[in-house]
Amino acid sequence: MNIIETKKLTKYYGKARGIIDVDMTVEEGEIYGFIGPNGAGKSTTIRTLLGLMKPTGGSATIFGKDITKYGPQIKQEIGYLPSEVFYYDGMKAIDLLKYSASFYQKDKKFTEKRIQELSGILDLDLSKKIDDLSYGNKKKVGIVQGLLHQPKLIILDEPTGGLDPLIQQKFFNLLKEENEKGATILFSSHILSEVQKMCDKVAIIKEGKIIKTEKISDLLENQTKRFRIETAMKADKKDFAIKGVDDLSITDNSVTFLFRGHLNDIMREIAKLDLANISIEEPDLEEIFLHYYQK
Amino acid sequence: MNIFWREIKAYRKSTIIWVLVLSAITIVFLLLYPGFTKDVEATRKMLSGIPAAYRNALGLSLDNFFTIFGFLGYLFTFVLLAGAAQAMSLGTGIISKEDSGKTSDFLLSKPVTRTKVLTSKLSAALVLLAATNIFFSLASYGVARVVSTANFSAKTFFLISATLFLVQLFFWALGALFAVIIPKIKSVISVTLPTVFAFFIVSTIGAFIGNDNVRLVTPFKFYDYQYIIAHNTYEWKYVIIEAVCIAVAIVASFIIYLKKDVRAAS
Repeated sequence: MNIIETKKLTKYYGKARGIIDVDMTVEEGEIYGFIGPNGAGKSTTIRTLLGLMKPTGGSATIFGKDITKYGPQIKQEIGYLPSEVFYYDGMKAIDLLKYSASFYQKDKKFTEKRIQELSGILDLDLSKKIDDLSYGNKKKVGIVQGLLHQPKLIILDEPTGGLDPLIQQKFFNLLKEENEKGATILFSSHILSEVQKMCDKVAIIKEGKIIKTEKISDLLENQTKRFRIETAMKADKKDFAIKGVDDLSITDNSVTFLFRGHLNDIMREIAKLDLANISIEEPDLEEIFLHYYQK
Repeated sequence: MNIFWREIKAYRKSTIIWVLVLSAITIVFLLLYPGFTKDVEATRKMLSGIPAAYRNALGLSLDNFFTIFGFLGYLFTFVLLAGAAQAMSLGTGIISKEDSGKTSDFLLSKPVTRTKVLTSKLSAALVLLAATNIFFSLASYGVARVVSTANFSAKTFFLISATLFLVQLFFWALGALFAVIIPKIKSVISVTLPTVFAFFIVSTIGAFIGNDNVRLVTPFKFYDYQYIIAHNTYEWKYVIIEAVCIAVAIVASFIIYLKKDVRAAS
């Protein structure tokens, strides 16, 4: 079952581009990464899905229901953590969380138990006022309010800012647990190592358009390879003028490049050189991401 | 009802302060009333030294200033000003604080319609204003009865007293409209006080120059105390004008709020 499905979802701010013709399908149980630099359209997509902004074109469904018609019903089963969290300063953390819980049709005892459990895991002091909490602790409040109703869909928009590495790890563990219980996760980030660690599938968004959607494993293993070659004599650019070579750099006797395509093609060319050393590596997600972005 | 109760709780203290301020102004002035009536002729002579235009601008009528209701009508010129500031601050602040405090993301990502959010907030503001008026009216009524020496009509008193609530309704609705139209209101006072004073100055200038048409554009002149005292009722033409203004402002607020994009907090 598709949990999120968008068809040509478009949002303009007046004449300014937000997102254009975004097609996205997130299946049940997936941890779906959404990567792109600031301003690419990640938050606009998420905010449109959540009904915080009205789409100017296209359509989107969550749990099979149109987001513009069934917003409140859909949001009963969504947990959302924005990149920056802001809450009511005069409230205590526990009061904010109880207020948050009051919006959901879940048993009060269940949400209260969840609040205690989650705040215990994250080491959050619930008796403090929101304005007395550090940014990291406010973020923990955000995590608890996003998960306290055990949502079927968790939407995270660059969620780890302000969290120390230990809490980040606990947070990722919590997400994995929720995912194992059946929750689907949409994870937006520009920190590629996070996405690589967490996600099954990833969509790369550039200038408001999704330019690539692929399984992380496919993206990492089957596509681009990083070649590092050392030659006895300085190589010529012409030696690598074949389709699929990218990011070519030749300095003295050292050559590095990314290659996408059939390995036999490039190996035939390399075999013509006087080789001193060669290594072929899987590029990390960051290299792949930059590869798409530099195009 | 969770949003409604949360707002009632959030504005509880400031409402109590407003009740105390409005009641204090009225009670202190009412306690001065016996002093004015001690030597009516001397006071009348003194007040008649003020040019008629100024007296009109201040809502001071020598015909009935020395009656409890005439005195109350004069006093209400200032009570309405304070009450309008409370109502507009409440109407604006209760909505705009989600934008200025950047809590719109939290609230509107919850399973609740925007109609319910706005209805809850405006209802809470309305209940707080009603509570203000109930406590204010009861406190003022008690003191007015004590200082009144002549026949005292409870109906006339409450007709005058209720003008506070009626004028507040106008500013409550206007505040709501401003909150949805003006993006990112950082200071509610910077929006509400100039607006309230602008209406007040218009009403004062209108009374000063004797232009009756000004009554159509400023809520401070919708309710003429001389008329209320004389007829024991309101001029319904102005009640209808106010009702239409409120309806337009509230409907427009809902239309705009329902369509409004919530930009990311930064």
